[in-house]
Amino acid sequence: MELGTIEVKKPLVREADGSQGDLFPSEARLRNLTYAAPIHLGLTLAQGDDRQEPVVTTIGQLPIMVGSVSCNLYGMSDDDRVIHGEDPLDPGGYFIVNGTERVLMTLEDLASNKIMTEYTERYNERIYVAKVFSQYRGYRALVVVERNRKNLLEVSFPSVAGHLKFVDLMRALGMVSDHDVVNAVSTDEDILTYMMQNLEESDCDSLEAGIMYVGKKLAPNQTRDYQRKRAEFVLDNYLLPHLNYLMPPGLKEGDEGYREAVEGVRLAKAHFLGRMAEACFDLVLNKRRIDDKDHYSNKRLKLAGDLMEDLFRISLNRLTRDIKYQLERASMRHRDLSIGTAVRADVLTERLLHPLATGNWVGGRTGVSQLLDRVDHMSVLSHLRRVISPLSRSQPHFEARDLHPTQWGRICPSETPEGPNCGLVKNFAQMVEISRGVPDEEEVVRMLYNLGVEHIKGDI
Amino acid sequence: MASPKRIGKIEFGLLSPKEIRTMSVRKIIWADTYDDDGFPYPQGLMDLNLGVIDPGLRCKTCDQKASECPGHFGHIELAKPVIHVGYTRLIRKLLRVTCRGCSRLLLSPEEIVKVIGTEEEATGDILSEKDIKKERVCPHCGEQQLKINFEKPTTFSEVMVEEGRKIEHKLTPADIRARLEKIPDDDLRHLGINPTVARPEWTILTVLPVPPVTMRPSIILENGQRSEDDLTHKLVDIIRINQRFKENQDAGAPQLIIEDLWELLQYHVTTYLDNEVAGCPPARHRSGRPLKTLSQRLKGKDGRFRGSLSGKRVNFSARTVISPDPNLSVIEVGIPLAVANEMSVPVHVTPYNIEELRQMTLNGPVRASLDDPCGANYVIRPDKRRLRLAEGNLETVAEMLEPGYIVERQIRNGDIVLFNRQPSLHRMSIMAHRVRVMDGRTFRLNPAVCPPYNADFDGDEMNLHIPQTEEARAEAAILCSVEENILSPRFGGPIIGGIHDHVSGIFMLTNQVRWFSKEDALYLLKHVKMEHLPAPGRVENDVPMWSNKQIFSLVLPPELNMVFKASSCENCDICKKDLCERDAYVRIIDGILECGTIDKKAIGAFDGQIVHRIIRQCGMKRAAEFIDDITHLSIRAIMMDGFSFGIDDEDLSKTEYGQIDEVLSTALLDVQRRIRIYEDGQLEPMPGRTPEETLEMQIMQVLGKARDRTGEIAGRHLGLGNSAVVMAVSGARGSMLNLTQMAGCVGQQSVRGERIMRGYDDRTLPHFKKNDRGADAHGFITHSYKGGLNPTEFFFHAIGGREGLVDTAVRTSQSGYLQRRMINALQDLKVAYDGTVRTTGGRIIQFRYGEDGTDPMKSSFGDPVDVKGIVESVLKEEV
Repeated sequence: MELGTIEVKKPLVREADGSQGDLFPSEARLRNLTYAAPIHLGLTLAQGDDRQEPVVTTIGQLPIMVGSVSCNLYGMSDDDRVIHGEDPLDPGGYFIVNGTERVLMTLEDLASNKIMTEYTERYNERIYVAKVFSQYRGYRALVVVERNRKNLLEVSFPSVAGHLKFVDLMRALGMVSDHDVVNAVSTDEDILTYMMQNLEESDCDSLEAGIMYVGKKLAPNQTRDYQRKRAEFVLDNYLLPHLNYLMPPGLKEGDEGYREAVEGVRLAKAHFLGRMAEACFDLVLNKRRIDDKDHYSNKRLKLAGDLMEDLFRISLNRLTRDIKYQLERASMRHRDLSIGTAVRADVLTERLLHPLATGNWVGGRTGVSQLLDRVDHMSVLSHLRRVISPLSRSQPHFEARDLHPTQWGRICPSETPEGPNCGLVKNFAQMVEISRGVPDEEEVVRMLYNLGVEHIKGDI
Repeated sequence: MASPKRIGKIEFGLLSPKEIRTMSVRKIIWADTYDDDGFPYPQGLMDLNLGVIDPGLRCKTCDQKASECPGHFGHIELAKPVIHVGYTRLIRKLLRVTCRGCSRLLLSPEEIVKVIGTEEEATGDILSEKDIKKERVCPHCGEQQLKINFEKPTTFSEVMVEEGRKIEHKLTPADIRARLEKIPDDDLRHLGINPTVARPEWTILTVLPVPPVTMRPSIILENGQRSEDDLTHKLVDIIRINQRFKENQDAGAPQLIIEDLWELLQYHVTTYLDNEVAGCPPARHRSGRPLKTLSQRLKGKDGRFRGSLSGKRVNFSARTVISPDPNLSVIEVGIPLAVANEMSVPVHVTPYNIEELRQMTLNGPVRASLDDPCGANYVIRPDKRRLRLAEGNLETVAEMLEPGYIVERQIRNGDIVLFNRQPSLHRMSIMAHRVRVMDGRTFRLNPAVCPPYNADFDGDEMNLHIPQTEEARAEAAILCSVEENILSPRFGGPIIGGIHDHVSGIFMLTNQVRWFSKEDALYLLKHVKMEHLPAPGRVENDVPMWSNKQIFSLVLPPELNMVFKASSCENCDICKKDLCERDAYVRIIDGILECGTIDKKAIGAFDGQIVHRIIRQCGMKRAAEFIDDITHLSIRAIMMDGFSFGIDDEDLSKTEYGQIDEVLSTALLDVQRRIRIYEDGQLEPMPGRTPEETLEMQIMQVLGKARDRTGEIAGRHLGLGNSAVVMAVSGARGSMLNLTQMAGCVGQQSVRGERIMRGYDDRTLPHFKKNDRGADAHGFITHSYKGGLNPTEFFFHAIGGREGLVDTAVRTSQSGYLQRRMINALQDLKVAYDGTVRTTGGRIIQFRYGEDGTDPMKSSFGDPVDVKGIVESVLKEEV
């Protein structure tokens, strides 16, 4: 089964007699309908080598945000809105599920893919740590580089019990020579001496030895072959996953240039780890302060789009798994395979609607979708501009609750609830503007080179 | 009545299988409940021997009806023993301390003596797991011991080491039971287990008691379908699996199937006992809801203990919004007619009151207006039948009345009721008031009783309870009444007293000397209980005039003598006493206010000195009357002049603004100068501080002083003609600091005691230069609230304000929890007859109550004897 192009239509209502018609928000509200549009996906069935004609089927219903581009109200004049039973002053920006208006709350989170430094106290000793929440396509992994008492660097990340030695990990990632390893960290004199201590502790001297070191840690008492495989898999998938964006899309194992691409990504990971190590040492040498986690430049906002993306990714995955299961079952019973029967549209729709209706999002987060507060117009506006923090309200978290000067112009200084949620639930300031990354990354890269940035040595 | 019995001791033990079978009335073998006709199956889970829940049927065991039968236990014979989850830790301990061969303690007698001591000299200790070394050889039979592994929830296994590899061998409940059975009684006593009431093998169930149906009643839904209780559902599962297990066992099924079924039975019994065990998926209802099984019934806030035994819902109570009524006495509470009509007090009919009660019965349940006499809602006949009074039966029931009947009479004026506001943090949160039936829909109370309840009128609701017996009413009146609770047992001072307008009003009345005509004097004293005006203090053109101090003296008891300083006192170095220009020196001789102003110090809640002295000298009742008089007088006094506060009350004149600007600019310059000194490295750090900290402290100090200076400038201009100043000086509300911030300068905003330091790199806001240490860059607000803050100032103010909000939010939740723990720790302590504070077990906590044996309520603000007060009242002069 191959997936083709995907397309979202306009919101529709299907009546009991089978007729279809455009659905408008006011009708959805009054008739307890869901304001959702069908999703069309082109599917190609491939059995062995023979491929059938692509078929476009409806794979489910996607709830549509009122007032968005896909909404039937989009681009309408005020008078037309009134004709369709809509208040022209209604701001939109919410969903309608079974007739109830649901707002997807904006979530505030610590910025991912950013190196943060901090101290932790352990056995009355100060440990210097550089952390990064590496995020790639919904997968989030915390990678930590810390300096222990003997100035040795230790790296830990998910799926590794305990920690790995920094230098050995660098070797495993393809940075073999001592010179390269040190250069990847820093050229600073003080750091150099620290790095020498680290190099002395290293047991590996080649890429092979490095990978085996990692493999031994990951899968002790297993065959060497398995250890190597496991090590490579973990390095490629669980260590700093955000750098995997460097992989050319569509390249599969066994393709031409795959090996080179993988090695390039690993080297990039090595360089990134080097930067983390440098940050860690800089903190030790007082050249850098610990990062202020409440500084608004260290925060990222997850809006309705990001949340729907998370939801859709997982739901579509489930759908494909279901289709696969249906096809396998049909094939086992020697029936003719048909896309129409294999795709159960309800699977996706149900997976999309249930979180929206209950607020229980994928990943176990609750309260993500809330019933729109319609007490008056102002409470609607306030509700749509609310930002919630994932921090638990039962702990004091004094610093996180404080109004931070960097919130000037972004978060309203006055509007926050009193009580246990004080300072954790925020509201956007009147003039807030939310940027959405850079449209053209090439442009940025070019500008950086023009400003005199040098390319990292080695091939990435 | 049955005589009360004294409990000698309580013994806790385990139910033995024998005991379970003896108390059982029926062996249960069928999983079904009801047959098609809706009749319980014999030997089914709803067997009629277990008690009845359907009306009309009779219990086969005790032959009583559904309402009387308490229910009886049945039992299920389990095919194989299973572990009781509640005792897994005990089982683990016992397996680890006993031999796997002979089941005796893994200690030689000498080793046991080391821990517990000899028979004559017991150490009081019992053996624990730690006393036994791991993997040793049994001292009795020489068997090599193996490590016992326990895996949640109920799996035990032995670890064998064979050829360097560890092999886990699972122990079945039957194996464990066999081992536990062999443990000798004497060994158990060493472990702190009394084998007569708790043999360890009883922790492994071979027979399961089936609770009576009354404990797990089925309910009939609207559609006529029966819905069974969660416990019944679980028991059905157990019986079903048990049955299948037995059949398979008899048919000689392979070991594998037997083991699977055994585990399944174990799972069902486990979840039947506790459905929230770690490592065990909770059993669910068909709808996906986890079942509420035995331990869930008992645990937690809504469990049997905290939800049904320590606290329950209560009849004869009312709840509504509260609102103030200064014309009520503090001992009264205003009750809406609707509430008074609904609630009742039972009155026994006697020959003496029969006519009165007959009339009430005739009045019936409808009382249309306040003026109507109260009626009755129910009449209870001597045979305990309850007759509801309604329009049609009033005469007949009234005729029937004779001694022995009980009439449930409606609430009327003067009844005693308990009034309560949550959170009930101290005993004054529940006080007994006298009823005053009123119009409207809210409870009314005198604002002077707000402090003990911590109530205000922004939508607070309060609860009302009607004591139903004579004893309860007597206790309420003697122990809980408002008069008895004017003194707080927390600090021995009055907690009820004038607040807000009472204090402002009495201050304006008594400050300095004013003269009133007879008309005005009588206006002021209209609601005060007094009979005659004293001789006029002065006659002006044949018009008699009374001074303000004379008028106030009328509410004082004549035997009062005291001297103190009012809260407007500035604590001058040398007190000018009578000649004080603020009139802050109060002297009362023989109940006459000779000089001084009455304010918060004199009559306020928490520190009212006069109230306190009246209680000590004339008793609680007189004090309550005094508070009533004072509140009525002060409200009249404040109404005579009128009292308001507006934005123009914060206006200052040009000279003041100039002075304020000057003070602030010199302060800012001073800050600049100090920063320069610091930057030049010339700053001498204070001992134990870094130069930065020193600088910060200096800046805070300079700016704090500057703000206070602006306040002084503003205060000098405003004077006692200003309402805010009156409130601040009299202690009614607000402080001079609030006034400073409104009229002078808001001052430094701080977060956790420091200037605002966080923000962007090296600066707070992008409006300032990097590394600017100046006052304005770190949250000093030079403007006043009246003058208006500029944007950065506003933002800093929001930062400072947020800290306060967070603090209150976090503190309330933390202190609530702290209080709960305190109550739980201290609730059973009592003062014994020998004066010691003891636990219920008789352990001494304190040799004398509070280490000094003083009842704080009877102390004078903590001191056992109020020497100063006694001397003053005798000598009639200050000491």
